[in-house]
Amino acid sequence: MENSGEHPSVKTVSGQNFVLTNVETIPGRSIVEHFGLVSGSTIRAKHIGRDLMASLKNLVGGELKGYTQLLSESRDQATRRMVRQAVDLGANAVVNVRFSTSSVAQGAAELYAYGTAVRVE
Amino acid sequence: MPDLILILSLTALGYFAGTWAENRHYRSIREREKQLLHIPAITMKDIPYPDGEICSSRLVEGSAVISIDYFKRLLAGLRNIFGGTIISYESLLDRARREALLRMKESAPDAAVIVNVRIETSAIGKYSSKRNIGCIEALAYGTAIDLKKQ
Amino acid sequence: MNYTPKLPGRNHNVTPVSPLRELLVLLGGLLVVIVIAYLLLGLGADLLVSHISPATEQKMATVFSSRFSSHNKPTPREKWLQSIVNTMQEKGCVDLPYPITVQVADSKVINAVALPGGRIMVFSGLLNIVRSENEMAFILGHELGHFAHRDHLRGLGRGIVFAFISTLTGSSDGSIARLAARTVQVTESGFSRGQEAAADAFGLQMMNCVYGHVGGATDFFTHMPKNLDPGHIGHYFASHPENKKRIQALLVLQQKMGYQIGPLTPLPVWQKDTVRKKN
Repeated sequence: MENSGEHPSVKTVSGQNFVLTNVETIPGRSIVEHFGLVSGSTIRAKHIGRDLMASLKNLVGGELKGYTQLLSESRDQATRRMVRQAVDLGANAVVNVRFSTSSVAQGAAELYAYGTAVRVE
Repeated sequence: MPDLILILSLTALGYFAGTWAENRHYRSIREREKQLLHIPAITMKDIPYPDGEICSSRLVEGSAVISIDYFKRLLAGLRNIFGGTIISYESLLDRARREALLRMKESAPDAAVIVNVRIETSAIGKYSSKRNIGCIEALAYGTAIDLKKQ
Repeated sequence: MNYTPKLPGRNHNVTPVSPLRELLVLLGGLLVVIVIAYLLLGLGADLLVSHISPATEQKMATVFSSRFSSHNKPTPREKWLQSIVNTMQEKGCVDLPYPITVQVADSKVINAVALPGGRIMVFSGLLNIVRSENEMAFILGHELGHFAHRDHLRGLGRGIVFAFISTLTGSSDGSIARLAARTVQVTESGFSRGQEAAADAFGLQMMNCVYGHVGGATDFFTHMPKNLDPGHIGHYFASHPENKKRIQALLVLQQKMGYQIGPLTPLPVWQKDTVRKKN
């Protein structure tokens, strides 16, 4: 499913959709003010069931649906937290979003999303 | 039996000492964030200041290494069995990154803005090679823009 | 564009849950999982054990017995002990599908062990404090009880369960594995205690069968030096139940089964002399 950069689950005070982009601007709109850096981080662990399925799958190959789901949940949570922080500041978009992941623990998926919170017209 | 006592006392030590240290650190972070609020850090590259006003620009960075305690590691180990968000590591990562950002801002106290900020995180230390976190290192770097005094 | 300096109201990057509550919830969950796994696997192990034939058990035993070399010629002590065991089997008190051999090992240890495959090892430390043949018969009967109840195999089954749980929890954290291992070990001692109590009852039965009475059954526990009694705290972790409890259990069983007390059969002369010299 293509994510067009909109985050439909969070609406601003005016009821419009929240926009995320990873370019410097929102194409077609102008930035009025900015609020600085906002970020969202998440660290999720997979449970033993997924571990076992993964080791079994290592024998036969194929997509590890459990892990894919875990990583996409992590991404969702990190993005949601970043957006919530931006909404707190009064923004209605976040530009120049960057994702960063680091292996801080072998059994966990760690994801960090950060960008600049702005208000666009 | 002595093993059990050792584990319990390390856990208790980790909990009490760790929580105290964490609360103290968070107080300091919130305090400094209020003070340094006047320097914006943004991830964008371009800034709408007229070129004539810019005096100088330089790379600034700030880093912090925060260590884990036994209680947090125990919690994370248990969490690994059941899955879900590892809440004991969340505060660790949060503190490390905010501290790194603050140190970056502190190294350029007269800057007007810090552009193209990037934040890198990694695990270092004795336990980082196994399934456990040892210490979290966060690095924040960007370009500080100084404006000509008018 | 302007910059509006503002700080967020609350920290969204940290879940506002008390770590202590998290610890309790997770530990509780882990305990439940371990208990369920232990029960299920223990049941499975018990079911499996009942299907192992004595022939297979003997084959398994050869692994252990190769470590202990058998004497070329049985000593007088060994002959005497063997005769007690043979009497038990000849009189039909116990029916085991494989022969039982008794050996004596020179050691200050006050103990006798039943080895897989039908071998009873009695340590000379124990022989030196036994005061009557009845006492010795109780001890040998107790070891025969372990063979009759196939305790070795059940111990093996539970041991596998315990090792499995250790590896399962060990995959996440070393300290968790240690905690889990410690928990299982405590319950494991309980299992062996039940087996020991059953073996005690069997020993009493053997005595009644051979001598017609159970005089001298509890002598061993009263003769044991005080410092070897595990005591209150130690006994929970020890595999043998506290001596007082054992004596109590035997007295209760004796009353229930209506066993009599009779005169004690003395030790053979040469053994009496050895005991007198040592004490």
